Amino acid sequence: MIARRTLAAALLLTVGTLPQIALAQQPAATTPQPTAPGIRWSKEVVPIASGEWTGPRLADGQPDVQGFWSNTISNHSNFTDPQAGPPGEPSGTAKLPRDQRAPSRVSDPADGEIPYRPEARALQADFARNFANPTKPEYIEPLARCAPAGVPKSFMWHGYELRQYPGYVVLLFDSGTRIIRLEDGPPLADSIKLWNGDSRGHWEGNTLVVSVRNNNGKALFGRYGDFMSENGTVEERYVFDPEGKRFNYVATFTDPTVYTRPWTATIPNRRYTDADEPDGWHYDVQPVNIASDTPRYEHHERICVENNGPFGGGAVGVPFDGAVIAR
Amino acid sequence: MLQVLKRSSRGLLAAAALATVTLTAGPIQAQDPVAIPRLASGKPDFSGIWQTLSEADYDLEPHAGRRDAPPGPGVVEGGAIPYLPGAQEQRARNFEARAKEDPRLKCWVLGVPRGVYYPAPFQIFQRDNDVTLVHQLGNQVRTIVTNGSDHPEEKQQEFWLGDSRGHWEGDTLVVDVADFNPETWLDRAGNYHSEELHVVERWRFVDPDTIAYSATLDDPKVYSKPWTIDVLLHRRRDANFQLIEDYCFTLQYEQYYPHHKDGQ
Repeated sequence: MIARRTLAAALLLTVGTLPQIALAQQPAATTPQPTAPGIRWSKEVVPIASGEWTGPRLADGQPDVQGFWSNTISNHSNFTDPQAGPPGEPSGTAKLPRDQRAPSRVSDPADGEIPYRPEARALQADFARNFANPTKPEYIEPLARCAPAGVPKSFMWHGYELRQYPGYVVLLFDSGTRIIRLEDGPPLADSIKLWNGDSRGHWEGNTLVVSVRNNNGKALFGRYGDFMSENGTVEERYVFDPEGKRFNYVATFTDPTVYTRPWTATIPNRRYTDADEPDGWHYDVQPVNIASDTPRYEHHERICVENNGPFGGGAVGVPFDGAVIAR
Repeated sequence: MLQVLKRSSRGLLAAAALATVTLTAGPIQAQDPVAIPRLASGKPDFSGIWQTLSEADYDLEPHAGRRDAPPGPGVVEGGAIPYLPGAQEQRARNFEARAKEDPRLKCWVLGVPRGVYYPAPFQIFQRDNDVTLVHQLGNQVRTIVTNGSDHPEEKQQEFWLGDSRGHWEGDTLVVDVADFNPETWLDRAGNYHSEELHVVERWRFVDPDTIAYSATLDDPKVYSKPWTIDVLLHRRRDANFQLIEDYCFTLQYEQYYPHHKDGQ
């Protein structure tokens, strides 16, 4: 049962910007904080240039960027104003002048807004209006049901782990796993639509270039309901700095049915190592029981739906039972 | 090779038969260092996509065909699971309620060892310090740590997949899995365990495309003695085969996303 309590606590962190949840589940807790404890609030997004990789390499030639990583500018509550909080739940910094918070994750166009077609903007705005008090299933944030966070939201939630193998880069998120294939092969049939899409990548110097197709468009990008459709494709560039301490996730989204033009998101990430102290969010790790002095930390199993069912926002209490499959 | 090509077809058949015999003899010559894939470190390399052909997930014990299961000879050494008397009754109740109570029906994590012999592929990614298993069903992920560490000092964390620590005994990967919760079943027939479950797995190559997998299960609250299952895992060699994510627990609500206009 300890595991369940620990996870419940971790998920409280997840919804830490939603005071009513904390009150409901922790009546004895102190006054909820306006921002989730442990979440990093860097205001800067430092550019990293594409170029040669001069750091260590794996035996198969890939740049060695294995380890624990996390974004540096808050979570998925708000895609275009990352530190302003979710709809109806402004953060403590939301009233400050805009330039005192991290910039929009939309790095192109320059106005920081996703260039929606009018009908798509209306759908996104409708979701945002109904997020705090969802009256229909479609207003419940899919991540609140432990659905895979998908592309790109996985990079804006908890910290994650990157593991490399000959022919593969594998990303282990708390909500879903991505297997990026580095070897060419025939693509999956277009008719197969997936939460995390299907990823094919290759290295160009210090940059992992990944094409993501077969997206189902269901994961949404955050609590304001930003989205692509199943027609969307994503071209990702993971640009690593020479020391391998940071990378910028730079992804261009193309979907003529939702956007008036392709646009680009930039999400800064930093690496966590044994030199860092665990923080329960970006570096959510536990001590290793080992005789030597390294490694100090490891991550235990990443499980969401089985322990918790729905959580977050107005979704708490949505039933999750009954058979889902017959196979 | 030219000599071989010039042979008559009968000769080729004989050569093929010899090759088959050689492969069949593989398990007996398990020490042959060139017969199986290996990491640079020399350890066997289980990387690849694997799947059982067995009927283990339908019922670990010997069973005739029935409405919801094909017949199977059973994979339990000795045939029957040695339940304690009270536990045998619980297992019978589980069996009666299996169409509703099997946790798999919610597409939840199947646990260890069930995920290994559930009839869907899983992919192994292997480094010197760990072995990562990604199961297609639910995309559940398990890490077998092989860096010399022991189970966490904090006990009773009750993991869905247990905590897996592996070490090598020759070419066999031996994995000690402990600290489970009592939520998972062992198969569709209601065979079960408690939070006292302790599993010791043994993974070894029979040949480059076949793994002999065994698991010994101990649970003093449920079984009278430890018992062992044996299944073979086969490499998926279909052309261009790959895992396709199967987050099936989302099936009950995925129709609501992304956004729809009212009434759609």
